[in-house]
Amino acid sequence: MEKKYSVVGARLPMLDAGEKVKGAARFTDDIVLPGMLHGKILRSPFPHAKILNIDTSKAEKLIGVKGVITGRDIPDVPYGIVPKAKDEFALAKIKVRHVGEAVVAVCATDPEIAEEALDLIKVEYEQLPGVFDPLDAIKEGAPLVHDNTPNNISASIHKSFGEGEKAFDDCDLVFDNTFYSQAVNHAPLEPHAAVAQFDPLKGEMVIWSSTQIPFFLRRNISTTILIPESKIRVIKPRVGGGFGQKIDMFSKDFCACWFARQTGRPVKFLYDREEIFVATRQRHPMYVRVKTGMKKDGTIHAQRFWAHADGGAYNSTAPLMITLSCYFLMVPYRVPNLVYEGYHVYTNKPVGGAMRGHGIPQARFAVERQLDMIAVEMGIDPAELRIKNSLHAHEPHPGGFIINTCGFSESVEKAAEAIGWREKRGKLPYGRGVGMGGASFPSGVSNMSHLASGAVVQLGQDGAVTLLTGAADIGQGAETVIAQIVAEELGVRLEDIRVTAADTGITPLDAGTFGSGVTVRAGNAALEAATSLKKKLFEFVAKEMEANPLDLVARDRLIYVKGSPDKGMPLMEAIKRYRYADLPMPIVGRGSWMAPASEPTTLLNEEGNFAPNYSFMTQAAEVEIDFDTGKVKVVKMVTAHDCGTPINPLLVEGQLEGSIMGGIGHALYENVITEKGQVMNPSFLDYGFPTAMEMPEMEGISIETDDPVGPFGAKESGEGTQLAPAPAIVNAIYDAIGVNFMELPITPEKILKALEENKRSEKPRS
Amino acid sequence: MRLPKFEYIEPTGLKEASSILIKEGGARILAGGTDMLVNMKHRVDLPSLIVNIKKIPGLDSIRKENGTLKIGALTPLKQVSVNPDVLKFAPGLAQAASSVGSYHHQTMGTIGGNICQQNRCKYFNQSKWWRSSRELCFKAGGETCYVVNKKDICYSSYCGDMAPALLTMNAKVKLVDAQGAREVLLESIFSGDGKNPLNLKKGEILTEFVLPEDSMKGISIYRKTANRESIDFPIVGAALWASKESGSLRIAFTAVDRKPVVVQGALLTNKVEDIMELASKSARPVNNSVYSASYKKKMMGMLVKSMLGELN
Amino acid sequence: MKQAINLNVNGDTYELLVAPNLTLLEVLREKIGLMGTKRGCDLGACGACTVLVDGEAYLSCIMLAVDAVGKNITTIEGLSHEGELHPLQRSFIDNGGLQCGFCTPGMILTAKAVLDEDPSPTEESLKKKLAGNLCRCTGYKKVLDSVMDVAGQSSKEG
Repeated sequence: MEKKYSVVGARLPMLDAGEKVKGAARFTDDIVLPGMLHGKILRSPFPHAKILNIDTSKAEKLIGVKGVITGRDIPDVPYGIVPKAKDEFALAKIKVRHVGEAVVAVCATDPEIAEEALDLIKVEYEQLPGVFDPLDAIKEGAPLVHDNTPNNISASIHKSFGEGEKAFDDCDLVFDNTFYSQAVNHAPLEPHAAVAQFDPLKGEMVIWSSTQIPFFLRRNISTTILIPESKIRVIKPRVGGGFGQKIDMFSKDFCACWFARQTGRPVKFLYDREEIFVATRQRHPMYVRVKTGMKKDGTIHAQRFWAHADGGAYNSTAPLMITLSCYFLMVPYRVPNLVYEGYHVYTNKPVGGAMRGHGIPQARFAVERQLDMIAVEMGIDPAELRIKNSLHAHEPHPGGFIINTCGFSESVEKAAEAIGWREKRGKLPYGRGVGMGGASFPSGVSNMSHLASGAVVQLGQDGAVTLLTGAADIGQGAETVIAQIVAEELGVRLEDIRVTAADTGITPLDAGTFGSGVTVRAGNAALEAATSLKKKLFEFVAKEMEANPLDLVARDRLIYVKGSPDKGMPLMEAIKRYRYADLPMPIVGRGSWMAPASEPTTLLNEEGNFAPNYSFMTQAAEVEIDFDTGKVKVVKMVTAHDCGTPINPLLVEGQLEGSIMGGIGHALYENVITEKGQVMNPSFLDYGFPTAMEMPEMEGISIETDDPVGPFGAKESGEGTQLAPAPAIVNAIYDAIGVNFMELPITPEKILKALEENKRSEKPRS
Repeated sequence: MRLPKFEYIEPTGLKEASSILIKEGGARILAGGTDMLVNMKHRVDLPSLIVNIKKIPGLDSIRKENGTLKIGALTPLKQVSVNPDVLKFAPGLAQAASSVGSYHHQTMGTIGGNICQQNRCKYFNQSKWWRSSRELCFKAGGETCYVVNKKDICYSSYCGDMAPALLTMNAKVKLVDAQGAREVLLESIFSGDGKNPLNLKKGEILTEFVLPEDSMKGISIYRKTANRESIDFPIVGAALWASKESGSLRIAFTAVDRKPVVVQGALLTNKVEDIMELASKSARPVNNSVYSASYKKKMMGMLVKSMLGELN
Repeated sequence: MKQAINLNVNGDTYELLVAPNLTLLEVLREKIGLMGTKRGCDLGACGACTVLVDGEAYLSCIMLAVDAVGKNITTIEGLSHEGELHPLQRSFIDNGGLQCGFCTPGMILTAKAVLDEDPSPTEESLKKKLAGNLCRCTGYKKVLDSVMDVAGQSSKEG
């Protein structure tokens, strides 16, 4: 039986895999331009302090130093990725708000000289009292991180659905628990970097940046460097991972551009690993309180949710993050009555930003953990409880979500089966256990402006297809997946596609890689472009074949009437005839796509469906506790995953497997440890980034639901799978030793303490 | 992070190397470099002259001699971990060597370098910029130890993985300088002073480890607990040596004190709980790492229990 | 004081004038212009800077360039031969053993060192030896599969 698609659904290597294995893929730090200068940044050693004086005179005199700037030298224009939450400057003005904030930038002929120059700069600070915990920061009288933000609450959300709080009166059982999720660093292997070059004659800036958001970056550079967007070109080279940490403009981007213009020479800034830990982004530590009201029969009737996110010193994506964190309580379970309040709180600590899941992992951990506690208390099997409360496609949704496809309950069943749930849950020897967690994630957010994507596809006389897309591939394979979509639509092979992407000077706009929206948004834009191209081609070929264009099929470089591939016309033949008919080449198709929304609205103010579609998954873990050391070994992790249609199963698996390791790190190994705002472990020597030794057996099960909105039925598969591994593990730990952990990470020390308490209180298991 | 500036020299003989070390106050030995170069990038180690001793022949072999096992100080850890004689007569040593850092550290790093590593502390092993949040700590040349908030004392920890197993086997070391050589118990070269962890005379170079014959007749085990199973320094490392014949039991720890700790008075005939108690009382770890002192203390007993379990 | 040294990289000899405080990584990238070796953490804790020194896996960010004189250094650029990809490179492509590709040169070179020493390792021993190469994207599974695939083939050829 013929496969439904010939390119979509195939396990194909990434287009740039060849250059990557040869070490020939060009990352930002691999770019070297003649006369290039090297920049370095001097950062604040204090969490909260007034800048009294900066003496750069010695640094300026050092031979090889070509530029030194401070916050005084740059415009008073704050920036930020969410326009209404702009609160950052590339170099601190007046005061510093966290250890690691940029204060002075230098550029020199040599990285060593740049580092030496920093040593020669004297900054006088007057330390101020700081706040280091969101619950302290919101108290009356707490020091203000930003003077214009009372109670340090820079973004908040309050919403009520259904009957809200009143609905708890109708509940048979009410559970109220508080949880905590810790600071985690994205830790992409490639450090943040930028190279900028300025053409003084044209007044044009070119910047190569390791970024997830080329177009947003262009806008932020424009407003802060004060050059029109039309004179700025942002080019994204190969990016060595981002996971959300490369969303936002950073000091390195601004300063590279600034010095490039000031000196007339290209300028490179490269962060070292310590800077990445203290001065880029991290996952928001979060206090989450969940109150859930259940009916006797095991249905969730009401839920109330409070979240306090430790935002660090600046906003980054604050209003969006806190909103997503709360909104996503409404999937994958039916919650008919829901109230939530979420707060993004400033503290004098490293800045929180979007990290794989963007506020949802913390909420999901709380909800999934509590669901298990509820299951135990009510004597219902946790898997059955999840299935019972599962959403289904097309059912009316209290938040107005339009869920066309939903494989959630199937994912619970399949994950349970694969982990051996029935044989193992409650039945393994003391110290071994299984647990699960469910989740759902949007494929990008709609119900917001600006999040559009465009594409141009051209079929040339050589039979090659050029694809111009704004999509920012950061290593997940976006270019490959989009190329597969185009190849499928045009009936060519993946190897026939030549991709140019993420260059604001050449490619159409794409919002960027965040919110897991690329496959659906940029994929649909490219699909539309390919469809438009195909229409032109088919109109011509149909005449040649004396057929109806609607009856034509293109597949594997052949065009034929449906059902008669043996009488088809090879693509090259069709192109040749097209040219000989004096029709203009190349044949061009254009597409643009934005997620459907009833009207332009903003997520923060309106209700409604705000994702084009939603992925669903369940993850189940088996763990084994070492009673001597307290270490938790994740023996196996299963993911049953509905991403609609996996455009490239090889890449989807890669996403799942990477997500799982990230989830394991979140649950057990990783913690950005701070003492009074200072990160104590800002290096890979002391930060618990999981190694291959921490890898469990991993199994992925694909559930295909063929979504109507996604290109070829696709939904996201980049972030959703990082939501449930942590709760699955912590739920498995409960099954193993009967202890309910409420905060992450679960360190061996916490396990040993719990085991001791178990012994003391003779606590029976389950 | 760039390295600071220094001069560099490659002596071809031990006498030459030793004379250089005596003459130049700021000279430091380069073996594998995996410890020193990181400390240099952090600017807590600023040698004026680096003396690369890897060109001196004869320091990297493992051989049996007159019943003893001799291991050259420049033997890469990887070689120690797979050497047939080590595996047969001192398996704890092989376990320790294969637990150091990562595979790369075991390739580059040497057994001598691992023993002579600098002590560690969360306030010390940080970049120069990081440490500028405070006055220099005592170990780095200032006055105050931030671990205990006291002056003129250093509470850093010795964290080398190789020491415990060697100590439980009563290993000796050969120390060579321009004048000659001496052989002393390994235990004696650890000063217990966090700021200057080694008791070596100026110009002395550790060239060889010697395992006595009778130590190779017992059972040796090394157990390490760390956050991850690779790359990390130990949270606690413990070694055990036992002879069922004589009933002797020797236990040693790393990462719990300013020098590796040898537990006194344990006997194979004691109850497990008593040995565990003796072991965990033998040192008082402090909060100088991101892992709590109380967990370290607990692990001292637990690792011993686990190793004793292996004896049966 | 700078020293004149010759470094043998991928079979070619490079004459260089370098200060002793340059690491091998810095010399490879900044003086010779071979960008395949990556800087991930600069402290020897991630493996992205792995090069082969006389066939063994070394961390070039914590090794002095002057200490590499007289050795045969292999970077990722030296792995393919006359345009033909090394079997490990082929396997990583086919098995999806990479995503962003930043850790990949280090992974592949470490794998080569491991397989040259032990052509048919167990998965456990391979895991342990690759554990010094951090990867945030793949979760390691397909990396290990890629290497085991090559190990399996070579053991088939026996």
